[in-house]
Amino acid sequence: MEYLFDIFLISISAALINNFVLYYFVGICPFIGVSRQVSMAVGMGSAVTAVMTFAVFLSWTITTLILTPGAPLSAWVAGWFMSPEKARTIDLTIMTYIVYIFSIASAVQFVEMYVRRFYPPLYKSFGVFLPLITTNCAILFACLTVMSNVVGKANPAEAWDLGRSLALGFFGGVGFTIAIVIMAGIREELDLCDVPKPFQGAAITLIVGGILAMAFMGFNGVDTGIRSALGGL
Amino acid sequence: MNELPTPFERFVQGILPENPVYRQLLGLCPTLAVTNGLKPALTMAVAVGAVLLCANIMISLIRNLLKPHLRIVVFTLTIATFVTIVDRVLAAYMYQMSKTLGPYIPLIIVNCIIICRCEVCASRQGVVTAAADAVGQASGFALALTGIAAVRELLGTGMLAGFQVLPEAWPAWVIMVLPPGAFLTFGLLLALVNYISDHRSRKNA
Amino acid sequence: MNQTLNSHRRSEGFRHNKLVQAWLVLLLAIIFGSALAAVQVNLSDVIAANKLNESLEQVPELVWGAAKAAELVENKVRIDIEPGILTVDTDGKKTVYHLFRVSMDRTLAGWVIRAGGQGYADKIELLIGLSPDAGKISGLFVLEQKETPGLGNKIIFSQWRDQYIGKDTQTPLTVTTGRSNAPDTIDAVTGATISSKSVTDIVNLTTRAVNGRLASVEYVKQ
Repeated sequence: MEYLFDIFLISISAALINNFVLYYFVGICPFIGVSRQVSMAVGMGSAVTAVMTFAVFLSWTITTLILTPGAPLSAWVAGWFMSPEKARTIDLTIMTYIVYIFSIASAVQFVEMYVRRFYPPLYKSFGVFLPLITTNCAILFACLTVMSNVVGKANPAEAWDLGRSLALGFFGGVGFTIAIVIMAGIREELDLCDVPKPFQGAAITLIVGGILAMAFMGFNGVDTGIRSALGGL
Repeated sequence: MNELPTPFERFVQGILPENPVYRQLLGLCPTLAVTNGLKPALTMAVAVGAVLLCANIMISLIRNLLKPHLRIVVFTLTIATFVTIVDRVLAAYMYQMSKTLGPYIPLIIVNCIIICRCEVCASRQGVVTAAADAVGQASGFALALTGIAAVRELLGTGMLAGFQVLPEAWPAWVIMVLPPGAFLTFGLLLALVNYISDHRSRKNA
Repeated sequence: MNQTLNSHRRSEGFRHNKLVQAWLVLLLAIIFGSALAAVQVNLSDVIAANKLNESLEQVPELVWGAAKAAELVENKVRIDIEPGILTVDTDGKKTVYHLFRVSMDRTLAGWVIRAGGQGYADKIELLIGLSPDAGKISGLFVLEQKETPGLGNKIIFSQWRDQYIGKDTQTPLTVTTGRSNAPDTIDAVTGATISSKSVTDIVNLTTRAVNGRLASVEYVKQ
């Protein structure tokens, strides 16, 4: 029960309260570039959600099994060359960034192959966005958030398990989709307005984004409210 | 094939005519995220500059060995390595700052400015040009970041780089240091830059 | 004739082998790998020390208060700080606390405990100073917070934090919004009741958890 509650709070926080785009400013490039039409925004959002979930799965697995100090796989391999106590202190976290960026690249490849093979209509709707996603900072940010919740925890029991990480990955993507779709809806209306020339294009998008961010600030503290309403800390 | 720009041209281009933030709209994530104070903004600009310089020089040195289809892999590998080094150096010598910047330092890896400069300049031109280009683009980036950060910190807290500038009675506009302030400030500054460049080009014509 | 053709074909195949084409990537990977290893060897200790010092620097002030701590540091009095770990098992849920046992002249002077919990915006990490018998709070420091600037982040200022000093740990502290002189109340930061409550909740939970268990701390061998 407590576990489900935890997952629920992580999801709500990733999707709304600390929205990736409007609170952490990751994924701004597609937020401004691909938010002209709602249909495009939905495609981009689904692509990001799919890749983010898969990339978080990959990075969580690699981090817990190999990279974190005392990880089982690296300790086992190192155990062939040194004493078990020493093997458990092997710290490969310096490799994290390189490993993550390549696991994102492979996640993009994998999702692209899978969707093209099994869901051709879906591929038509968001396939074109997939190659763009490798350099989308939102995905790397999700992986890094998972890392900061797995590596170097004072309390080993507090380290995130796969379920929590996947919740963050999936709902982080949902949050991105929400933001970009709202933005696209507003921009479709904006096309009918007479925007002053210097503001046309990115500038007005940013200002609308600012107002959206203000609106999303209203969600701040919702998680603490739910937490205290349900009596947990 | 048209002639490629000289080192000096590359340097000047980076600062204003092809400013990475205002003209090319690249690297917006740190531009918005770390500009709630001058100090983090400057540190971020220096970190991006260091990675850009190292990556540009490295790529330029090996540009004749690059295979087209492996190009992006090599770029990513190089950038990720230099970012890791910068991240660790920052954590070792500026611990508080590295905590403030948090995940935005590793996010330099996916900063489009760097991969774009590797592709456009370093993989085609010599070391000197690549280095000049990196310094130019980095200064342009630093200029943009400090501009936004100065406005936000001044209006949001009445301070600049931690020193009180506006009178104590200034009602700090907290919204400026919060996320919405980043969008609003950058949007308005971008419109201002558009207006000025528009005005000038009309005058010249 | 046939042989030369074969060897020619083999060398062509060799040249088109994927691994050979990627020789540059592999070479770079080796170079970068060793560069990273060098960075790790040289800097990992410095970074670990930074992390520990961040807490250690605050210890004297949290145990003796700002004035006395400054005096002690100035007179270069020897203070012994032993890092330790306390595992608390409440209702089957294990919580690990990292703490410091602080002593001067071989006598116990107090404890500093690191504790964390959810704040208004993000996680809050605290250092809580306790008297030798863990009966009174001797200091509070906010290590990490991302509360709203201008409102919630006022919890980092000593004017607010100092009201915890001297509070009794036997009864849980409560947060009030008006000025109150009751012994177990904390005045909330104006406009940031939730941040204030979060800090107080962490303090309450921690003091209750460690109460009477400080004898079973495992010390880290140095």
